[in-house]
Amino acid sequence: MPETVNGIAFFLLAFATIGGAVMMLSTRNVVHAAFWLLETMLATAGLYLLLDAEFLALVQVLVYAGAVSVLVLFTIMLTLRRREDAVRPFEPGWGGMALAALFGGAMLVAISRAQLPAAKLPEAPPTVADFGRVLFTQWAVPFEIASLVLLVALVGAVWWSGGDRR
Amino acid sequence: MGYVALIPLLPALSFAVLAPLPRAWRNWLVPVSVAAVVASLGLSVAAFAATWPGGHEAHAQTAFEAVFAHIGGAELAFRLVVDPVSALMALVVTLVGTAVQVYSVGYMHREERIGWYFAALSLFTAAMLTLVLADNFLQLYMAWEVMGLCSYLLIGFWHQQPGPRAASMKAFLTTRVGDVGFALGLLVMYANVGSFDFAAVLHEHAWQPAAATAVALLLLFGAMGKSAQLPLHVWLPDAMAGPTPASALIHAATMVAAGVYLVGRAMPIFEASGVALTVTLIVGALTALVGGLLAAVQHDVKKVLAYSTISQLGYMFVALGAGGFVAGMYHLVTHAFFKSLLFLGAGVIIHAAHTQDMREMGGLAKHMPVTTAAFGAGALALAGVPPMAGFFSKDEILTVLVHEHQYAALAIALAAAFVTAFYVARLFFRVFTGPPQTEHLKEAHVEMLAPMVVLAAITAVVGFAGPALGEFLGHEIPWPEPGVAALSVGVAAAGLAAGWWVYGRRTVVLNTRPLKERFGVLYTALSLKLYFDLTYDNFVVKPYARLAAWLARFDLGVIDGVVNGAGRLWQALSAAGSWFDTRAVDGAVNGAAAAVVASGERVRAIQVGRVQAYQALMFGAIVLVMLLLVVKGV
Amino acid sequence: MTIGAPAGAAQFMALSAVLFSLGLYGALSRKNAVMVLMSLELMANAVNLNLVSLTRFVDPAAMTGQFFAVFSMVVSAAEIGLGLALVLAIYRQKKTVELEAMEELKG
Repeated sequence: MPETVNGIAFFLLAFATIGGAVMMLSTRNVVHAAFWLLETMLATAGLYLLLDAEFLALVQVLVYAGAVSVLVLFTIMLTLRRREDAVRPFEPGWGGMALAALFGGAMLVAISRAQLPAAKLPEAPPTVADFGRVLFTQWAVPFEIASLVLLVALVGAVWWSGGDRR
Repeated sequence: MGYVALIPLLPALSFAVLAPLPRAWRNWLVPVSVAAVVASLGLSVAAFAATWPGGHEAHAQTAFEAVFAHIGGAELAFRLVVDPVSALMALVVTLVGTAVQVYSVGYMHREERIGWYFAALSLFTAAMLTLVLADNFLQLYMAWEVMGLCSYLLIGFWHQQPGPRAASMKAFLTTRVGDVGFALGLLVMYANVGSFDFAAVLHEHAWQPAAATAVALLLLFGAMGKSAQLPLHVWLPDAMAGPTPASALIHAATMVAAGVYLVGRAMPIFEASGVALTVTLIVGALTALVGGLLAAVQHDVKKVLAYSTISQLGYMFVALGAGGFVAGMYHLVTHAFFKSLLFLGAGVIIHAAHTQDMREMGGLAKHMPVTTAAFGAGALALAGVPPMAGFFSKDEILTVLVHEHQYAALAIALAAAFVTAFYVARLFFRVFTGPPQTEHLKEAHVEMLAPMVVLAAITAVVGFAGPALGEFLGHEIPWPEPGVAALSVGVAAAGLAAGWWVYGRRTVVLNTRPLKERFGVLYTALSLKLYFDLTYDNFVVKPYARLAAWLARFDLGVIDGVVNGAGRLWQALSAAGSWFDTRAVDGAVNGAAAAVVASGERVRAIQVGRVQAYQALMFGAIVLVMLLLVVKGV
Repeated sequence: MTIGAPAGAAQFMALSAVLFSLGLYGALSRKNAVMVLMSLELMANAVNLNLVSLTRFVDPAAMTGQFFAVFSMVVSAAEIGLGLALVLAIYRQKKTVELEAMEELKG
């Protein structure tokens, strides 16, 4: 298991991720933005594959690319009365941009200075089977709690978005 | 020594069994609680016997150990340790506890919630045993707090009535004031020593005087709360609202003595401080005297005993303050026996007479001879009459005071002893002598009498065990010195005689008026509490009224003229003031208000109500912190 | 950094930082509630990427970061579900999803 990953694959996926994010923010059509988000998520799933996290890549595709994107698209559909409403004027938001740029810059400087601890690399990457075993033994209780959180969120979402009975 | 772990565990288990059950089952399972405490008593005797031969030279033995938390590098351990002091204390606690539980079977048998009562008693016993077997201050503090809880539960046992409810809260809150001091003391102690263990804190650490004073005074404050020392004594008389046997166990024999035990255990810190010892001595001496004086004017039997307890605890603090650790512990032990005996006796009396007011009693001796004899033994012990236990331990305290040349404290202690003897005589003669009651009163049941007889027997003989006990605890308890003994007996006899003269000589004293006429000075001095109002009236209110009448005449003739002239002058001045007020002052006030409004308008801009604005603020702050870190290079 | 050179932890962290900043920009500047929620997802994604990459390069055998990423995904999925439900509820009341219309908290 090497200290690094394939540079070319990384470059392509990173480009796809950042490009998707930039396009999502720059497009004036909300529906297009949702599709750019989907593209970003797929590229991130590719990055997870590159990082030997197959299970996470799968979850990423299922949850983000699948469920979340569909949810977003439905919401857009339900909240637009006319097709033309999807297209909006571009909002530069200079203040937000400056703040985000400052944040990113500070982060990058910090990362360039950071010294990571030496890696303890095993011979072979842990497999999905290993991942599953640990998840359901060592992390079983947090896992169950997470299920509960999801359930509660689901009930809450149904409650809020449910019909006009109130 | 593994069985020692069972000593506190058995009562704890009996609480764990009783508490969660439904009421009917709980009431049915009362024998479990009694059996547990009897078994604890047996084990305590065994532990005491095992510790006895070596005495103080034997090393403390760890009977049980479990580390329950790691904080930093330090281990917080739950440990049960047997050394002479803890073995003795465990024996006293289980002995009195057994007596009280057996007695309670008879005393409380009509109560609906008797099961809960026994559960609380068991929890209390477990906590007290944990406390005395602890070998670190943290465990001691935990048990200390559990005892506070039990005290609260038992004082408020009849929580349907407002009196006990208020009393339980008062007791809990007042002792909590002291507990805060204790907790702070623990913090300072840990900051200085880095450990809570007795060995590390008391023997291995070299205390700086300033740190020792801080810790010792804070611990003393905690002890003053629990042991009802001036000025935190107010809760104990009210605590008598609880069941009488619980008062006997908690508010006379054991829990209130925990403060004495704490100070006794922490003696090396107090000695390193020096100042703290003096403070202990002063607090104890004042409490001993004031408690005794107040006991002498109470009419409620239990309140007399409560103030008496305060006074006797003050005695123990005097002993500790004079450096007499063993003398203090000795008095603690004897007091535990005779005071619980007195309380159990009071319970029988109250049960029979259906009142707590001793003015309505009298002549009970003819109806209940056993109770009278047992109560009399306790009363003589409290008064300090040989050969009862109280004489020996009180004498030992006086001896310590003489040896340490604390003559002021000695004088106060003797005065307190006189007052003690006086109120003991008052209590005894008022309740037991005089013509018999018209209605037929029955002697108590055997399960109530047996514990009293046992405690009376112990009270009668334990005094002679003093020297052996002293050897066991590692400090000589000599036989009473003739001089001191004569002084102490003389004072006690004088007090008893005075009490008899006032209360015993006459057949029944239903009205205090003749007494007041005959012994006006003495009675007024002793009933300071009762006749405070009268004193104020005679010395403050009436002279003031005369002065006022004279001033009124002076006022009409002289002052009014001056006042009217001054009034006119003042009118002119205020006209000028009014002009200044409208122009300058109002302007300033309005200006300030306007400034507040304007700044408010500006600040309001931040609260735009839009989520993104708040988010921007938050991230702005984060970015600022990050920039700071990046610039400083972490 | 040259294009195509093998990528390590620092490169992943930089990528994640850029992604997070883009999401932050979107969350701060967009007026459409749905767009803000999408930007929040972008930020959550950046965090997950950081977790997974750091566990891969620092302690791959334990996979702790991956588990955290799983839980983080659960929470952000719950969050977007609830968020979109809220948007729908608000839309039914106000007939708009513009954040400027939602300022009842104004002081």
